[in-house]
Amino acid sequence: MIKDAFSRTQIDRLGDRLKGGSHTESDLRLLDDYRRSFGEAYETVVRTLRQRGEVPTGRLAKSTVSIAEKLRRESIRLSQMQDIAGCRIVVGNVVEQEQLVASLKADFPGASLIDRRDHPSHGYRAVHVIAEISGKPVEIQVRTSLQHMWANLSEKSSDVLDPTIKYGGGPDGWRDFLTKSSKSVATYEKFEKTHAEAVALNEVFEKSHSKAVSSHEVFEKATAELLEHHLPEHEVEEIRGKLEDSRLRIEGLSGKLEDSRLGRETSSKELVALWNGNADLLTGAITWLDKLKGQKQ
Amino acid sequence: MIFLIEYNRGKGIIVTFRDFDDSQRREAEDSRLGIELDLNRKGRKGIDHEVVLLEAASRDALLRTHGRYFKDLDDLLKSASQQGDGAGVSREPEFGAEAGR
Repeated sequence: MIKDAFSRTQIDRLGDRLKGGSHTESDLRLLDDYRRSFGEAYETVVRTLRQRGEVPTGRLAKSTVSIAEKLRRESIRLSQMQDIAGCRIVVGNVVEQEQLVASLKADFPGASLIDRRDHPSHGYRAVHVIAEISGKPVEIQVRTSLQHMWANLSEKSSDVLDPTIKYGGGPDGWRDFLTKSSKSVATYEKFEKTHAEAVALNEVFEKSHSKAVSSHEVFEKATAELLEHHLPEHEVEEIRGKLEDSRLRIEGLSGKLEDSRLGRETSSKELVALWNGNADLLTGAITWLDKLKGQKQ
Repeated sequence: MIFLIEYNRGKGIIVTFRDFDDSQRREAEDSRLGIELDLNRKGRKGIDHEVVLLEAASRDALLRTHGRYFKDLDDLLKSASQQGDGAGVSREPEFGAEAGR
């Protein structure tokens, strides 16, 4: 039978024992019951996400070792921990990330937001949305593919090289790579937004231009037909004036279209350059790792 | 699908991997606890293994969001350096061509 009502004191005392490494088998069972008490809240969150077409990977149970480490590392109590249950969504880019986060805020009114993009935690950048369902917090991690790439490298290197890497420690060479790479991704993503705006503007002008050209063609044809009817001179002048206005409008739009196309091209090239800078950092990290392995052999 | 993973952090490898149908959640949770209790009985060192339950649409979806469990550091670095296509401007054909260097 799963207990659903735990006193805060009971849970925090359990947290103290986990923190001190003095937990018993019954502590592990109590922690397991506590984890399972988040089940309904977790289900509600994941169901809502799936209904909106997202493909989250849910974490039904945070591992004991991760809970104990977090209690040791941070000054929070177990009853305050907000990521006992949670899920992760990886999206293609920062524009999609912002759209999804905005939707999540609407889906889960009162949800709190931890935006680590402008203020990274030891280089870690992502947005965490904490939804609260019937008093139970459920963490939704929203990462872009590049933020996720960085997080994977940080976490895996913490596993196999040095557990302090995740929190700003570790060998200088690797630490340097992670710091630079996190900044490089941040710059890239900032520019990604500029590029998305340039693409959108270009599309708007493409549509306007194409619409104006079609209207002008129809107008031109209608004018030619009208002029065959030997209209009075002042009416002919008026029609020709309107036709000229339409031509000038197309000319103006053509100029704007060309400018927006150039803007799109420039931002695209800039993005490539920024990505290549990050790729160089990754190449450097591969070399660093190869050297390390060579030293160990 | 529900995936039960026992992961040895220090070695960076999966020790136990089991999958369950969505309807077997209780069984998955019991199995997870069973592994933790077993590790605990073997001594504190054993509990350094992460024992997690993850729920994903498929194994591929799991690999995408939790690749750290499945790939070693070399693989992660190499796939990251080929990730030009995963970046936001992959919709731009010229980007995919140049960035995947």
